[in-house]
Amino acid sequence: MTTAKASAELVSRSRGSKAFRRLRENSPFLVMLFPAVVIVFLFNYLPIYGVLIAFHKDFVPGDSILNPVGGWVGLQNFKNFFEDVQFWPLMRNTFLLCIIGFVVGFPLPIIVSLMLNATRGRRTAKILQTIFNGPHFISLVVLIGMLNIFFGHYGLVNNIKESLGGERTQYFLQESAFRPMYILSSNWQDFGWSAIIYIAALSNVDPGQHEAAILDGASRFQRVIHVDLPAIMPMVSLMLIMSIGGLMGVGYEKAFLMQTDGNLGVSELISTYVYRKGILNDTNQSYATAIGLFNSIINVVLLIIANTTSKKFSNNSLW
Amino acid sequence: MATLTLKNIKKVYPNTERTTKKRKKKTDEPVKEKANLQITDEGVVAVQEFSLDIADREFIVLVGPSGCGKSTTLRMVAGLEEISDGELYIGDRLVNDVAPKDRDIAMVFQNYALYPHMSVYDNMAFSLKLQKVPKDEIRQKVEEAARILDITQYLDRKPKALSGGQRQRVAIGRAIVRSPQVLLMDEPLSNLDAKLRNQMRAEIIKLRQKINTTFIYVTHDQTEAMTLGDRIVIMKDGFIQQIGTPQEVFGHPNNLFVAGFIGTPQMNFFNDCQLTLEGGKYAVTVLGTSIPLTDEQQAKLKANNCKPGHVIVGVRPVHMRIDPNGFIGKIEVSEMMGSELHLHLSVGDSDIVAIIPTVGLNLSDYAIGKTIGFSFSPDLMHLFDPETTNNLI
Amino acid sequence: MTVIKASKKGPIRLTKGDRVFYAINAIVLGLLALIVLYPLYFIVIAAISDPDAVLKGHVVLWPVDITTSGFARILAEGKVWRGYLNTIIYTAITVVLALLVTIPAGWALSRKTLPGKKFWMIFFIIPMFFGGGLIPFYNVMSALDLTGKIWAVILPSILSVWNLFMTKTFFESSIPTGLLEAAKIDGAGEYKIFGLLVLPLSKAIIAVMALYYAIGQWNSYFNAMIFLQDENLYPLQLILKEILLASENTTGGSGETILEQYRMANQIKYVSVIVSSLPVMLLYPFVQKYFAQGVMIGSLKG
Repeated sequence: MTTAKASAELVSRSRGSKAFRRLRENSPFLVMLFPAVVIVFLFNYLPIYGVLIAFHKDFVPGDSILNPVGGWVGLQNFKNFFEDVQFWPLMRNTFLLCIIGFVVGFPLPIIVSLMLNATRGRRTAKILQTIFNGPHFISLVVLIGMLNIFFGHYGLVNNIKESLGGERTQYFLQESAFRPMYILSSNWQDFGWSAIIYIAALSNVDPGQHEAAILDGASRFQRVIHVDLPAIMPMVSLMLIMSIGGLMGVGYEKAFLMQTDGNLGVSELISTYVYRKGILNDTNQSYATAIGLFNSIINVVLLIIANTTSKKFSNNSLW
Repeated sequence: MATLTLKNIKKVYPNTERTTKKRKKKTDEPVKEKANLQITDEGVVAVQEFSLDIADREFIVLVGPSGCGKSTTLRMVAGLEEISDGELYIGDRLVNDVAPKDRDIAMVFQNYALYPHMSVYDNMAFSLKLQKVPKDEIRQKVEEAARILDITQYLDRKPKALSGGQRQRVAIGRAIVRSPQVLLMDEPLSNLDAKLRNQMRAEIIKLRQKINTTFIYVTHDQTEAMTLGDRIVIMKDGFIQQIGTPQEVFGHPNNLFVAGFIGTPQMNFFNDCQLTLEGGKYAVTVLGTSIPLTDEQQAKLKANNCKPGHVIVGVRPVHMRIDPNGFIGKIEVSEMMGSELHLHLSVGDSDIVAIIPTVGLNLSDYAIGKTIGFSFSPDLMHLFDPETTNNLI
Repeated sequence: MTVIKASKKGPIRLTKGDRVFYAINAIVLGLLALIVLYPLYFIVIAAISDPDAVLKGHVVLWPVDITTSGFARILAEGKVWRGYLNTIIYTAITVVLALLVTIPAGWALSRKTLPGKKFWMIFFIIPMFFGGGLIPFYNVMSALDLTGKIWAVILPSILSVWNLFMTKTFFESSIPTGLLEAAKIDGAGEYKIFGLLVLPLSKAIIAVMALYYAIGQWNSYFNAMIFLQDENLYPLQLILKEILLASENTTGGSGETILEQYRMANQIKYVSVIVSSLPVMLLYPFVQKYFAQGVMIGSLKG
């Protein structure tokens, strides 16, 4: 990064004193930017550089990244992963969790924002919004703790189930319960928060348009469809690109907290597997890094596809 | 086309902080400008004692300063605001509780309020579609309206791709496709620049010849009111000040407010004048000079049984004339407008404006700092009671 | 609650269809509010009820046999308070450093005259969509000799690229150019302009950023889990993780002891959830508009 700066400086100097003066006048901005550059360099770019160990035979901490002891193995680690018995289960687990989560979680905030916007009485809407945003600030640990409390053996859900004549279930040890619990709790926590962005877009709708629609004879529901919904469509497609881009990027932090011996068959995701292989069990860092890289590449590809598609059909795009 | 009757219409905004806030947002009229509105236990009274009979195909203009209640009145007719008290008839039908869409009205909004995601055609067709009018009929109606407004070539465009004047036409087009009985317009020209505004004003006058409907038009611009209206309703602080044809409100303003509001530059007022009654004849003393009144004015004053005393005399700038034997004034500002000269004079305590034609005028005689003589004819004089502000004659 | 509101005075008389629409809308939103609130409410009533009653399922709508024993027990838990203190320290340092890094950088990035602006934009955008992954990150932290130190928790958290771009957008949209030009003509340099003009006008974004970073650090556990070995350095969330998730999913043991353990453990869970979330929950209603503001600033970008 410093070399880039220095070379930029050189180039501008050779282009004449005008460019140089401009650089000097604006150098304070570079100073202000500098700490952020350092942080991003250290904690984002160095790890990207460190990704090279995915092409090592077997990286051990302390080994040189450019001159590995075990030598380079090309794409061998990726091939190994594709042949790993875990490969298809991991892909399926990650993909299903994300796709179901998306199908449930994407429309919900849109619907909620439209409903809040159609609430009579601004204050009621404000109060509801405050309530809906609340869970966003609960930490993951507490959220999963709460899931444990409610779905535990003696938790509320089992109490209700038993009183209805059912039998107590260890939901956290059941594979079939993992995805519903994961997705429901995610939505419970974030549907209100995700709605804010749509609510902001809705608040910019000219009230005159609603009045015009009233005079045109539109019912409140028709106004939602013909006035409100079109107004947030650009935002919807933007969010759609973003969430498709992040579709396979499900984090390890939450799934990790929910993993038990019982549900590992569905709760082991690519990202948690990387953690288990690379750090927890410390079997093979190069192998784990390759898996992580594979996941990142899928994400970038998905993002590019989503963006290109959206550009083609709706003129909305990230770049 | 329909007659419209407003009987003692009243609008009260309940007196809670919340509603004033909400309202402020809606109409862009800051609350502080409503300081003169009457505030009762019920709330802020935005409009009261509003009674008006509108003839079929009449063009009525509601005019007044911001916050006077003109837009509120229009919105009550539209059904966008609830009528707190009084009765509103469209034709013979009492429509207080009728939903806007069933009132057979259409409205043109100040900011056009076009649907941004629909083409011009769809914007215009929207209300007909909602009424489930057959497709062919919709097409025919939209095309006819587009032809009247000369926007046929834009039908496929989105509003974003149109200029301000074109959007304005679309907004009008959307209103007239429904052939409404009453067409409401809420400051439709105020978002246009001066040149376009004049042009659209002429268009609206032409439009009137082409479609059979009753117009109610709200504006704060008295020029628009004078040029468009068959009758003008002048409002202030929620009350009607005067209803009349443009000539009536210009030639015989009901009170000081109307006199000052209609006509530019504003009417000149001489504050410290005395009305005297000697030998059964009224006269008025302006700046120390006694001016006898015309027979017609005498008769009116007598009929009203006016007491002699303090009055305010109003004379329009255009009714001032140069008269070396008249009052003496010092020229403070001299504005050359081309065909006429606007002179700002200081006479005693008052500042007055006189408009004189420039034909054959030696401009150097009217430089700043010079003194000139002026007068006006008594029959063009207005007398106002300083207490009630009403016109005495 | 919305149903009552919907009945009287509105600007327009409602048609039958609209009334049905509003009613359904209000009912659905009301139900949603219940779904959001009830779990939180249950935690509160369970924490102050007799643990036996909770276990037997008697606590549903109201607290039963109110007791503060849970709070007494958590007060006695030294590690909870140490975690609390650690979290407060980490959060405070994070917020201060994060503001020092993010705000000036956001300002610089928002300037058209920033030398190499295009390059820097790309430099900061790439990490939003692509990263090295967990293992290389872990190795970098080891190489920097941060593992086992509190800086491993703090330093990676003092810049979020998303927050940086939010700050940039704020500056672009809310500092009038005319003001800056006036200051320049008055002879102020870029540092003076930033310190004396921009910062005082940026209280909103500073508040939003401080809150975002604070909440982020308050709620995080993962970096602490993988980098800190010394229990004395554990932040609150890590302690909570032990309390909340430890005993739950084990199988085996006789029914009696499990039940007894469970009874004791559960009360601690309820109480610890409350105690740990209390600062956030107390602050939340007052600061939530700032959070929402932040999202809206961010949305301007789109």
